Amino acid sequence: QEIVVQGNGRVDAETVRSYVTGSGSLEEARRNMIQSGMFSDVRLSRQGNRIVVNVREAVTVNRVVVEGNRKLNKDALEGDLQTKARRPFNQATVDADVARLKEIYARIGRAAAKVSARTVDLPNGRVDVVFTVDEGGKTGVAEINFVGNEAFSSRRLRELMNTTEMNFLSFLKTNDVYDPEKIAQDAEIIRRHYLKNGYADFQLVSTDVRYDEAKEGYVITFTVSEGQQYRVGSVGFDSRVEQVSPDILKDEIETQVGEVYNAEDVEKTLSNMTNAAVRRGQPFVIVRPTGARNPATHTVDIGFVVEEGPRVYIERINVRGNTRTRDYVVRRELDIGEGDPFNKVLMDRAERRLNGLGYFKKVRITTEPGSSADRVVVNIDVEDQPTGAFSISGGYSTSDGAIGEVAVSESNFLGRGQFVRLAGQIGQRSNGVDFSFTEPYFLGYRFAAGFDLFSKYSDQTQYSRYENRTTGGQIRIGLPLTEESGVTLRYSLYEQSLKIPNTTRRPFNDCSVPIPGYTTLNPNGTAAYPACAYDGEASIAVKESQGSTLTSLAGLTLAYNTVNDLRNPRNGLYAEAKPEFAGLGGDSNFFRISGEARYYHEIYEDIVGLVKIQGGHIEATGRNRSSNGLLTFGGDLRLVDHFFLGPTLVRGFAPSGIGPRDISTPDSAQNALGGTTYIGGTLEAQFPIPLIPRDLGLKGAVFADAGTLFGYRGPRGFDVTRDGLITCGVATIQPECVDVRDRMVIRSSVGASILWNSPLGPIRFDYAYALSKDEGVIRTYPGVGPVRVGQDQTQAFRFSGGTRF
Amino acid sequence: CMVGEDLHHGYVLDERALAQVKPGMPAEQVLQIMGTPSTVSTVGNKSWYYISQVKSRTLHFMGDTVTDQRVTAIYFNNGLRVERVALYGMQDGKVFDFISRKTEAGGQEANFVSQLFRGLGTFIPHS
Amino acid sequence: CDTLASLNPFDQGEKYEMKIVPDVPAEKIYDDGLGRMKSSDHEGAAKKFAQLSKNYPYSEWARRGLIMEAYANYEAQKWEDAITASRSYLSKYPNTKDAAYAQYLLAMSNYNQIPDVTRDQERSEKALAALQELVQKYPDSEYVSDARNRIQIARDQLAGKEMEVGRYYLEKRNFPAAINRFREVVSKYQTTRHVEEALERLTEAYMALGITQEAQTAAAVLGHNFPDSPWYKDAYALLQSGGLEPREESQSWISRAFRGLRTAALGQ
Repeated sequence: QEIVVQGNGRVDAETVRSYVTGSGSLEEARRNMIQSGMFSDVRLSRQGNRIVVNVREAVTVNRVVVEGNRKLNKDALEGDLQTKARRPFNQATVDADVARLKEIYARIGRAAAKVSARTVDLPNGRVDVVFTVDEGGKTGVAEINFVGNEAFSSRRLRELMNTTEMNFLSFLKTNDVYDPEKIAQDAEIIRRHYLKNGYADFQLVSTDVRYDEAKEGYVITFTVSEGQQYRVGSVGFDSRVEQVSPDILKDEIETQVGEVYNAEDVEKTLSNMTNAAVRRGQPFVIVRPTGARNPATHTVDIGFVVEEGPRVYIERINVRGNTRTRDYVVRRELDIGEGDPFNKVLMDRAERRLNGLGYFKKVRITTEPGSSADRVVVNIDVEDQPTGAFSISGGYSTSDGAIGEVAVSESNFLGRGQFVRLAGQIGQRSNGVDFSFTEPYFLGYRFAAGFDLFSKYSDQTQYSRYENRTTGGQIRIGLPLTEESGVTLRYSLYEQSLKIPNTTRRPFNDCSVPIPGYTTLNPNGTAAYPACAYDGEASIAVKESQGSTLTSLAGLTLAYNTVNDLRNPRNGLYAEAKPEFAGLGGDSNFFRISGEARYYHEIYEDIVGLVKIQGGHIEATGRNRSSNGLLTFGGDLRLVDHFFLGPTLVRGFAPSGIGPRDISTPDSAQNALGGTTYIGGTLEAQFPIPLIPRDLGLKGAVFADAGTLFGYRGPRGFDVTRDGLITCGVATIQPECVDVRDRMVIRSSVGASILWNSPLGPIRFDYAYALSKDEGVIRTYPGVGPVRVGQDQTQAFRFSGGTRF
Repeated sequence: CMVGEDLHHGYVLDERALAQVKPGMPAEQVLQIMGTPSTVSTVGNKSWYYISQVKSRTLHFMGDTVTDQRVTAIYFNNGLRVERVALYGMQDGKVFDFISRKTEAGGQEANFVSQLFRGLGTFIPHS
Repeated sequence: CDTLASLNPFDQGEKYEMKIVPDVPAEKIYDDGLGRMKSSDHEGAAKKFAQLSKNYPYSEWARRGLIMEAYANYEAQKWEDAITASRSYLSKYPNTKDAAYAQYLLAMSNYNQIPDVTRDQERSEKALAALQELVQKYPDSEYVSDARNRIQIARDQLAGKEMEVGRYYLEKRNFPAAINRFREVVSKYQTTRHVEEALERLTEAYMALGITQEAQTAAAVLGHNFPDSPWYKDAYALLQSGGLEPREESQSWISRAFRGLRTAALGQ
């Protein structure tokens, strides 16, 4: 059959014919052609053995333009429009586009935006379509009100919600935009909050939203009926599975009689009981809560029914979506495998553990029916997230001055779950580079084996007159013992080299090594003491430690951690003990143990209390060979291995500001000798600062610290002048004996700090006033007269801030 | 003993159900009582195996050691009626090292560089 | 985000003014695209060809532009764009002469993204489906022989994934899981190179469980079909150490399946 096409202009006959041949009947061809939008009218007729197709083409669109848009850029908007250049003009499509633009603006909080469309005829017979947008003001949430809430203040409920009211910060934030979906989520948050605090009858009566012209925003009113607060009347359970006896379940119950009814405790009890049953080989158990409310006595009687669920097994576990992470990295995190009984609680634990890995944007575990009634297929859909991080960060702290760090890290190296990090630090008083690698599943077991290499230089002269460079490496194996506790075994080998600067600008060693033309000399050419000590002179203990020493040390860290989230702690205990033994070769021989315990507890809503204790001791276990062959006597622990503590022990003190000092020269402030034993305690409370909007991220804290550091066990006399004699009295050069002031005084302070989670990164200001400290002693030095020496160095104000960009 | 966790894997054997399986019983009835078997023989699925295992994990990092392994085998005759029931315990299992060699498989190895620049090279088949 | 834009008071949004953009003739755009292909600026060529179907919709040029756009993106290794272009060609011009080539480009764009067996094999499944559709829909096209070859490799990849998971469970001593994974390879991927290892692993798993009769059968089938395979030597040695000879139960379903396969395989 021949097909004749009439009336086509731009569209060539071949395309029209392919529509006719491609469809079953003439009617279907006509419908397809109209639907294609190319033609405004199509008529098909059969004349003899010919089919005549008569078409009238729709006029073509020349250009599509959006004008008046400031908030959203043109391309994004034009991408969404269905009306396209060089396509036939269709009024229905244009109207749909107007509605679409309105909806886009509503979603970004511009519900008041007005959109209109017009066409402009062009001389070449085509038409331009122009969409004009008037964006209007920002329609955020002006007010959030609550009606019927007595138990909790409106302010408290507002703080629970994600959506916030517009305020002077509106230009910075986006969570004050009215979004029905977010409001529904907020309603759920409020409902859970009430159920958590005993209001079993709680009902959200209505959520009324109206646009208020005057306030230029939405006013949202939640009407709630709280009902009474219930306490737990009685707790009972009946187990219909004889292998699961009631006494197993008794200690899994979280809700106590008489306590305020808490829905979350009930949920926690359910999962605890199921876990207990699973551990006893009963994986098919289902625990169902029952609640009988007794309005008269404001109590609710809770019951837990333990039943036998369906005996379903896992047929297959499919890991999907892992474009980077390897299959076994996901599979090894599951305690359950194919062929095992299916249990919802273990599934949720696996999902939480996988999300905790940090390799995935999100992890969702779903099930679908298997090949037989008692088989189910488990699908684990993961979405890899880039785990590589290249970060440049800068900061300032009173102890290290301005510091900057460049770091490259990858926490899912080659999808094998391995962690790799290379970082370089540059600062006023310190610089360094370090590399670390960790394999979380060494040899298939749950060992986290890894190694670190580092080289760090730090200029301590602001506090103790020497510069120190440490270079070395460490290998470590982390062994988790239980869900909360683990031990890390470590062997590290590092070389420490200590140097005392001796230049005209920093003459800290010019008594021993006079600087020509600078140090005043005695007639016999030696440095005139004590004049050479006025401009700051390193303690002879420091002089003895000059040079480099090798330390080969083995140690372990025992850690116990039940804190909810270490970055934002609310509840839980973190405790660690670190015994270390140096002496497998190398120059240092000592046994050192240090420990710390921090207990967080949420005292009242958002106010977190912290109790911290810390302590440590070091004991020499053999000759610590000095690195420069000077004749010495006294204790044999090297100066550098002592504890040098300050603000980390008691805030309000300068670094190395606490502990034994050498008062043989007037410059004792900068000549801390370090101690062998320290003990410290802290009481702190962190709270959100009232009256300031929450989204600024400001928190305050008040604290009280106390602690002490004592017990200098280093050498006490050196033949600095190498004349074979140790002369302790005032000699021509520096006295060759250390005069140690070592008091077990309790240092304490009280203070407050402001923590600001600023857009530039976490910043912390600490102000602490020292209540008690070692006041030191008055000593007269020849040619100087009476001087107070040996007192602790305080530093009331500390600032540390950093940003990662 | 040490704080340990017993992990039950595979089929949960119910002695009473097993006692009901008698020689001559048709396969459908066995399916009713025991449920779908863990696996069936590669040989014309006329022998059904219900495999259960208990692994204990004393310390998390130690990994799990198999402490009890039991296979309940049900053999059927050509008429698909129960011929005999056999039990295999831990002691029947042979202990040996699995072959470490594996058949080469293709596909782009996720080398670090390609991941960084996302430009995966063309696929090199291992024929 | 909109916060910065709102700070800038000057931006009043553009105003519309009328201007006529001269139409470039279709042939010129097409030749320009071909020119870029020769100078191997594939991405530029793809953009040019895309312009064709945009400016001259429903014309013969649009069809030729679309297939060339798919080809250009394929050469530029921009797989996702090649897939979108070839898929839209297949939906717009299903029964034209270039449809087979579009199907081939669609298959190969997936095929070239097949990752190693430790990662999600979704690409292999998509490539396999596209290749099979090519062989079935365009049996006499010149790409069929290459497609058959690639189908074998894609199936080999899927079998490799099953083996990878099977070996994981074997090492974890979760024998039912391992056995079922290896059975999947033996029954669904008989023609791939992994079937030999699958049978040897079945021997190992059953020996570890103590069901020696199953171990014998698996080893026997392996010996029957791949007598000189290194895997058969391992399986045989394992049975020897357990003091058993491999013997095959003749009427088994699996040896019947293999007997059929073997005659076909030997015939090739």
